[in-house]
Amino acid sequence: MSTAIDTPAATTEEVTAQGKAKAKRGETLTGWAFAAPFAVLFVLFLVIPALYGLYLSFTGETLTGAGSGLVGFSNYADALRDPDMWKSLGNTVWFTALSTIPLIVLSLALALLVNLGLPGRWLWRLSFFLPYLLASTVVVMFWSWMYNPKLGLINGVLEQFGAGPVAWLQDPKVAMFSVVITTLWWTIGFNFLLYLAALQNIPEQQFEAAALDGAGKWRQLFSIVIPQLAPTTALLVTLQILASLKVFDQIYMLTNGGPAGTTRSIVQYIYESGFTGYRFGYSSAISYLFFALIVLVSLAQYKLINRRSAA
Amino acid sequence: MTEDFSRRSLLKAAAALAGGGLLVGCAPGASRSTTNLNYWHLLTGGDGTVMAGLVDAVNAANLGFRTTQTVLAWGPPYYTKLAMASAGGRAPDVAVMHASRIAGYAPGGLLEPWDLDLLAEAGLRKEDFPARVWEKCQYDGKLYAIALDTHPFVLYYNTDHAEKAGVTEALHSLKSPEEFTEVATKLQKVTGKHGLSYGYLGDGAQMWRLFYTLYRQTGADMKLVPGQQAEVDKDAAVKTLTFIRSLLNDTIASRSGDGGTATSEFLHGESGMFFGGVWELPVLKEAKLPIDAVPIPTMFGTQAAYADSHTFVLPRQSKVSPERRKHVYTMVAELLKRSVKWAGGGHIPAYQPVATSAEYQALKPQSNYAGIPAYVNYDPDVWFSGAGSDFQNYFAENVQNVFLGSGDPAAGFDGFVARLNKLLDRPQPV
Repeated sequence: MSTAIDTPAATTEEVTAQGKAKAKRGETLTGWAFAAPFAVLFVLFLVIPALYGLYLSFTGETLTGAGSGLVGFSNYADALRDPDMWKSLGNTVWFTALSTIPLIVLSLALALLVNLGLPGRWLWRLSFFLPYLLASTVVVMFWSWMYNPKLGLINGVLEQFGAGPVAWLQDPKVAMFSVVITTLWWTIGFNFLLYLAALQNIPEQQFEAAALDGAGKWRQLFSIVIPQLAPTTALLVTLQILASLKVFDQIYMLTNGGPAGTTRSIVQYIYESGFTGYRFGYSSAISYLFFALIVLVSLAQYKLINRRSAA
Repeated sequence: MTEDFSRRSLLKAAAALAGGGLLVGCAPGASRSTTNLNYWHLLTGGDGTVMAGLVDAVNAANLGFRTTQTVLAWGPPYYTKLAMASAGGRAPDVAVMHASRIAGYAPGGLLEPWDLDLLAEAGLRKEDFPARVWEKCQYDGKLYAIALDTHPFVLYYNTDHAEKAGVTEALHSLKSPEEFTEVATKLQKVTGKHGLSYGYLGDGAQMWRLFYTLYRQTGADMKLVPGQQAEVDKDAAVKTLTFIRSLLNDTIASRSGDGGTATSEFLHGESGMFFGGVWELPVLKEAKLPIDAVPIPTMFGTQAAYADSHTFVLPRQSKVSPERRKHVYTMVAELLKRSVKWAGGGHIPAYQPVATSAEYQALKPQSNYAGIPAYVNYDPDVWFSGAGSDFQNYFAENVQNVFLGSGDPAAGFDGFVARLNKLLDRPQPV
C-alpha cells in the first residue's frame, strides 16, 4: 500500500485498489465496534477467568488465600492419582453414553411420529417440548417425588403389577439410570424440535419421486429421511455429548452424587473440591484436565464430521 | 392502582435516600441515628419465623441500632458464601454458624474472636453457658462463638401407643439394645405397621446423628488430627452399625425410610417411636399428636447424645468499626435474653438464665431433654466436619448400604475411615 503512494505516477488501477483497502479498513473498524460489547464481556468474564484458573491450577490456592505459592504440577499429579477424580470422571462418561444415544434415537422417533400428521399434532408437539422449558429445580422436585421408594408414583404403579419396590435413587445399581430417565424426559424436547424442523424442510418432491419409483414408507425413511437429516444429527450428537459431559444440576439435586458416589459427576467433584473443600488450586487443575478431555472429544468429532461430508 | 403503588414506593425510596443522606450528614455524635447491622443466618421454616420475631423485638427496643437479617439457604450454599465473604473481608457484622463448623473457620482467620470484657459489659459471662457448650465455642484458647442453643438428636414417642403397649416406663429406664428392641417390637404389635420411624435415605446427616449418638454411648471416641491417622474404635463402630441395621428390618422400622416418609408415618400413628432432631418438634406438635420426647436411651453404658449448636460469630471484616462491634455485642445479648421463644422450636437455650427459668422449665416436652448439654457430643473437631459439610456425605457414601442391609458393617466403616485418612493427609486448606 505504501509503495503505491510513493510511486509518483500511479495508475488508475492502483488508485482504486488503494481506495478499496481504505474502505476495507473502515469496514473492519465498524465490525470491531459492533463486536466490542460482546468482546469486552467475553474477555472479562471468560478469557480472563479461564487464564486465571489456569494460573490457579499451578498454585496451592485455598479459599482463605493460605498456601497461594506456586506448586508446579503437583495438583495435576494429585488429581491423576485421586481415585475419586477417576470415579467421577468414569461416572460422567457413563452418563454421557447412557444419555446421548436415547436422546438422539428417541427424539428422532418422536419427531417422526409427530410428523406423521396424527390428530392433535399441536398437543403432541407441546407435550414433548414442554418439559424442556422447566427449570431444573422443578424437574427434580417432580421426579424425586415420583422416585420416592415408599410414597412414589412409580413404585405405586409397580406394586399394582406385583413388582417389588425399587430404590430408584438409593440403589447404587439403579441410581444412574434414574438420573438418565429424568434427563431424557427433561431435555428431549430440544432435540425433538430440531429434528421436527429438519423433517419439515425435506422437499416433498423427493418423496413423490420415490413413491413413483415404488419405494415404500420404510425405504423412504432409510433412503431419504435419515440421510437428509444427517447434518442435524451431526449437530445434535455434538451438542448432546458436550451437554452430557457437563451434567451437574439434576444430579446435584436428585442424589447429590450418591449413593456411594455412584452418580457424582466430574463437575460436581470440581465444585466440591473448590467450594466445600476449599482447595481452589486443586479444583482448577481438575477443571483443566476435564477441559482437555472436552477439547479432545470436540476435535475428534470435528474430524469425523468433516471426513463424512468430504466423502 | 399499579401506578399508585409504584408512585408510593418511589416516594418511599426517595424518603429513604433522604434519610440516608441525613444519617451520613450528621453521623458522629448524633444520638438519634441508628446504625444498621447486617446479620446473616441460615434459619428457614419455623426457626426462621421465630428468629425474625426475635430480631424485630430487639429492633423495637431502640437500642441505637437496627438489625437487617439476610437469610440464605441452609448447608453448603450458606457456608460457602459466608467463607467467601469473610475471605474477601466484606462479611456481615454478625452471622449464625453451627458450633461444629468453628474448627473449619477459625484457623483460617475467617472469624474474629469475641472480647470477654466487652461481653461482660453486655451482660454475658462464661458462667451463663453450659461448660461443654462454652468449650466447643473455643478455638486455640480464644472464644469464637456465642451459643444460642443446643439441638440434639432425640427420641419421640406416641404416648397413646406406648400406653397400650405398656412400654412408657421402659422408654425412660431401658439400659440395653435388647430392651430397646423389645420395646420397639411391642410398639409394632400395637400399630400393626412399624414400631419405629427413622428417615435416613440419601441423608448423611441423619445417618451420622444416630450412629454418633450410639457410638459415643459405647464410650468410644473419634479423634481427627490433620497429618495423623484417624483415631477410631472400629469394634464399637461395628457394634453400633450392626445394632442399627438390626432395627431396620422392615418390621421394627422400614429398611429404606427417607425423611418425608418417616415423618408422615409417625404423624399418621403408623409407628410408635421416631428418631429425629429437636427442631422437628413444631411439625410434630402441629399435628396434634399425643407425643413426648426423651433423650435417646443410654443403651451401651455411657450417657451420650449427638448435638450441634447454633452460635453467633463475627466473620472477618477488613474494616471494623468499634462502635458497630459494640452494637453487635448488645444485639447478641438481647437475642439470648429472649431465647425462651427460640426454645419453642424445640431447641435447648444455651443461655442459662433462660434455660433455668420457670418459663422454660414449664415447656413440655422440651424440658425432658434439657439435661443433654451436660453430656452433649459434638462432631470431632476438624476443618472438614460439621453440619452441612462433606464429612456427612462421606459417611453416607460408605455406610448407607450397611443401613440398607446389603453392606458389611466393618467394610462400610473401613471405607469411611479411609476417606477420613485421605482428608487428614492433605494440607489443611483453611
